[in-house]
Amino acid sequence: MSETVIQTNNLTKEFTKLRGISSPRNFFDKVSFTAVRGINLTVSRGEIFGLLGPNGAGKTTLTKMLCTLILPSDGNATICGYDLARQQAQVKASIALISSEERSFYWRLSGRRNLEFFAALYGLSRRRTRQRIPEVLEIVGMSDAAERRFQEYSTGMKQRMALARGLLAEPDVFFMDEPTKGLDPVAVRNLHDFIRSQLTSRGKTVILATHDLVEAEEVCDRVGIMQGGRMKAEGKVSELAGDASLSDFFHNLIADPEKKS
Amino acid sequence: MTLRKPQAFLKKDFLMETSYRFSFFLQFGGIFFSVVMFYFVSELIGSAPSVQQSLSRYGGNYFSFVLIGIAFSNFLSVGLGSFSSSIRGEQMMGTLEAMLVTPTRLSTIIISSSQWSFAFTSLRVGIYLLLGGLLFGVDFGDANVIPALAALLLTVIAFSSLGIISASFIMIFKRGDPIAWLISSTSTLVGGVFYPISILPDWLQKLSYLFPITYSLDAIRLSLLQGYGFANQEVTRDLAALVVFSVITLPVSLVIFRYAVRRAKKDGSLAYY
Repeated sequence: MSETVIQTNNLTKEFTKLRGISSPRNFFDKVSFTAVRGINLTVSRGEIFGLLGPNGAGKTTLTKMLCTLILPSDGNATICGYDLARQQAQVKASIALISSEERSFYWRLSGRRNLEFFAALYGLSRRRTRQRIPEVLEIVGMSDAAERRFQEYSTGMKQRMALARGLLAEPDVFFMDEPTKGLDPVAVRNLHDFIRSQLTSRGKTVILATHDLVEAEEVCDRVGIMQGGRMKAEGKVSELAGDASLSDFFHNLIADPEKKS
Repeated sequence: MTLRKPQAFLKKDFLMETSYRFSFFLQFGGIFFSVVMFYFVSELIGSAPSVQQSLSRYGGNYFSFVLIGIAFSNFLSVGLGSFSSSIRGEQMMGTLEAMLVTPTRLSTIIISSSQWSFAFTSLRVGIYLLLGGLLFGVDFGDANVIPALAALLLTVIAFSSLGIISASFIMIFKRGDPIAWLISSTSTLVGGVFYPISILPDWLQKLSYLFPITYSLDAIRLSLLQGYGFANQEVTRDLAALVVFSVITLPVSLVIFRYAVRRAKKDGSLAYY
């Protein structure tokens, strides 16, 4: 039986705010918006789980909750056996967040300097940092560009540096939020190969939030399709879509808000 | 907390700051002009008997009085502003979220983020004093450095506590922090930066005792200009007041900051700016 790495139980996020100045008469009235509703999810070690859904479906909120960046309103979750609410330090030591956000680096510093800084934050010793940085640069094919300033990198190179940063501490779980956004087809292919050859083959678990249904079909072992904060469908692509393509299944599901597999 | 993470912040901020070389050196030029300007102001008003009488407690020389005032009030600015500005800077650069997802405590991030500002301010204050001593003949021959350093340490803690409260506002409201503005403006007005508090009306003098800068500047001036040590009652009174400020405000600031972070995590607005 495969080891469960991520388990969520009725995980919910409701954002509440005051009406405020937009409605002066009802300034103190509260307005609520449920971004994620009752998610029950189980992901096993070595699995690539695709998180799909239209804009505003709740993918990013769910990912951020699992990365401890947003507190859930209800429900609970464990990552690698650690409780999301009570063992945040252990959860953080077990995960890496790789987003398409280029701004998460110091642009005026070189790629190597950025990695040195984040290696310290991940708790790597100086000796381990000296060993690990050349290794991760080699893995992502950035050894020759390590001394260049981050601002001089192309979109693909920035994405590879984000991967390199995620690999530094060798975590068990990788959350990837649209990692192929802005990449050319060759770079996308390389990333997919990389996920298979370097991550899941070594027992790492990947949560891949993406809008690219072809990518999800090709790479993911299982997918979950979110809409309006709910998980509307979850399973292996072949089981969900049958003979149809994932794209057809996805569009049918999203077009019919009442439908649930 | 091991030193590895704070050192990494210091190195990163040093590299970032010095990557803007022109701006880095321009700041030292600003110190020179400020010192020269106050020297001439001192030449104009410093010999007036009323000024010398007001400053007799500190040796009677206006230039040395104001030099210490403007130099050490830098710590007020950096203590109040560095935490909030570093948090806001990281939010705007987009790096805060990347840091928060690492196994690093938020308190380590916020304290370490402001180290460079304090280190750089110490350098600036050293240059102020060096210029005053070498070019304009301020006499630090009798200076008692240890009590001045003790006052400085307590000053940094007291101001930083207020700065952490200020950063809490930034964490929730993103801009428009009233704490730093209010304390900075009032401290400069009543804290004895440019003139001794003895010339203020009685009610403003009473108000000045609520602000740590009053005690900081008094203790530092008495130590550096008059050579007073821990045996001096006025110095120990100032230090005791700073200890009380620190003991009260530091835990309060940490509680407020913890609340602010929790609130931002609930709102999902941790990295917004």
